[in-house]
Amino acid sequence: MADNAIALNDVRKAYGDTLVIPGLTAEIGGGQFTVILGPSGCGKSTLLNMIAGLERVTSGTIRFGSREVQELAPKDRGCAMVFQNYALYPHMTIRNNIGYALKVARVPKEERRKRVETAAESVGLRGLLDRRPSELSGGQRQRAAVARAIVREPSVLLFDEPLSNLDAKLRHGMRMELARLHDRIGATSVFVTHDQVEAMTLADKVMLLNNGEIVQYAAPSELYENPATTFVATFIGAPAMNLLGADGEGAGIRLQDGTLLTTTPFRGPVTLGIRPENIEIVPDGIPCRIVYSESLGSHSVIVAALADGQELRIATQLGRRMTPGETFSVRFMKGAIRLFDPASGKRH
Amino acid sequence: MVEDTRGIDRTAFVILVIGVAFILTPIVIAFLTASLSYEEFVSAGGIGLNVGSSFLDNMRRIVTETRLPGQLWNSIVISLLVAGIKCAFAFTATFALVFYESRWNWIIFSLTIATVMLPLELLVITTYQIVANVAMPLNWLLQITGLAWLSEQVVGAKHEYKLSLLDTYIGVALPIATSSTSVFIYRQFFLSLPKDLPRAAAMDGASPFRFMIDILLPLSWTPLVATFMFWFIGGWTQYLWPLVAAATPDAQPAVVGLAKLANTEPDRIPDVPLLMAGALFVSFIPVVLIGVMQRQIVRGLNLSEK
Repeated sequence: MADNAIALNDVRKAYGDTLVIPGLTAEIGGGQFTVILGPSGCGKSTLLNMIAGLERVTSGTIRFGSREVQELAPKDRGCAMVFQNYALYPHMTIRNNIGYALKVARVPKEERRKRVETAAESVGLRGLLDRRPSELSGGQRQRAAVARAIVREPSVLLFDEPLSNLDAKLRHGMRMELARLHDRIGATSVFVTHDQVEAMTLADKVMLLNNGEIVQYAAPSELYENPATTFVATFIGAPAMNLLGADGEGAGIRLQDGTLLTTTPFRGPVTLGIRPENIEIVPDGIPCRIVYSESLGSHSVIVAALADGQELRIATQLGRRMTPGETFSVRFMKGAIRLFDPASGKRH
Repeated sequence: MVEDTRGIDRTAFVILVIGVAFILTPIVIAFLTASLSYEEFVSAGGIGLNVGSSFLDNMRRIVTETRLPGQLWNSIVISLLVAGIKCAFAFTATFALVFYESRWNWIIFSLTIATVMLPLELLVITTYQIVANVAMPLNWLLQITGLAWLSEQVVGAKHEYKLSLLDTYIGVALPIATSSTSVFIYRQFFLSLPKDLPRAAAMDGASPFRFMIDILLPLSWTPLVATFMFWFIGGWTQYLWPLVAAATPDAQPAVVGLAKLANTEPDRIPDVPLLMAGALFVSFIPVVLIGVMQRQIVRGLNLSEK
């Protein structure tokens, strides 16, 4: 196992009687960019805090490489963290903010100065070192927070929703910078977010959590194309994947009212999943009626009702304006259909 | 929207004038009385609005003939001790209460708050007993554990430890300092700080103590200064406890000394002009302090991080 890989073994966290994380086992590849994704309250921040050493594990082990770290203080784990609200020390200059960890670690002054400047350079803050956090913009503060994290040359870099306080444009820029920074310094990065776009764009691998359990842990494209459960299917992708209640009759799958959806062979009740962009508008197919449509410039999203009343989201390049009430027909691309068990939500 | 700001301004002005008059009248009377000589005061038949020319003479007598200058020094030391001890304990206690969660927090907090409800005036006798011999709990402990009996057998005589803090600065200051009102103020302030701050410090390898000294202390400077000033003046104006705890004039603070000035000779009319001069002399330092630190105090009690 790589020296900076993280291994979680049956990690549990309980607050009193509430079990937040009921036994989680996973390996986070050394040098990889791993995103922990999930809705709020799923335990992702708790998990990150436990990796960082800010919260104790109730039971289980955490290993960095071959070292067991769950009993170590944060500073002895060799990891650094970037916080959502920057958490810069308001009374210190940016220079002292970045250099505080080195000062605590008693790094000699001259070396400290050099390392602070290198770190500031790498996030493009060189000229602002003598300002205070209150004199910087949100983006600059976030950079300072990143510089503070990398100045100690950590083997593990932790991010706790670091982009959620920035506006959309800045967020995009910072996302790119973080990806490049990760490639440059080669630390293991663990990034917590509830934003699926961040997860899709940044991650080598995404760990999708729900109620403290891993729902799926795979590459972003795998999560998108082959969701393990209906939860993943609806959580990843915007607009979300369509999930239709249907019945398999051996040679094909039909809606309750008998409309044939696809000729994929299946028998028994089933949840049929299809992404909005994998639905084609064809002259002759599954009939539906437009409920609502919105144009996003590059494409349009249409919400249509099927014969039995279930709604279908369709993403189409078609420039033609659609009016509510208009009827048309669609076809599901065959390779894109995913079938789930209606009871458990798991993939067939 | 049109507001009748003129009317509001006028009302506010009137209220302000009444307030200022209410506060200033006694001070003006004090000044006027302090300007009279004893004879002028006696012949005028009491406190009035007469202006005399003996103000400097009275002040000179305060400085040269009374113990007030020395007692002023006592006041300064005692008030500094009171304010310093109060702030230091409240700061560290609040730090622990806010940043370290424990199931017992609410009990500790309630106990801390309880000290506010037990003012020193209520506990004067007990406090006196303890300050008169701070080793009392130790004696009691030795008694309970049987160690006193043991040492009596070995040494052959009964030994009671004794350490009196009466007539000392610390003996006067400590009991006044044992109340936790500042905990409220600091708590509100600490809660307004970003929650991730202590976590960031922990990631940077700072121990809780370092976090307190390096991060929290500089950030809390304004509320600290404000409460320090507040308690300094609070210590300055204490009367009952210093009167009890400091029996010799050398150890008494100025406020106690001032009261003693009034009743030196029982059959004579007290030298009120001298008393008033003394009162002005004693209030001089707090007034200057408030004047200088006014802005700091207001900002500090605003309870927000700036």
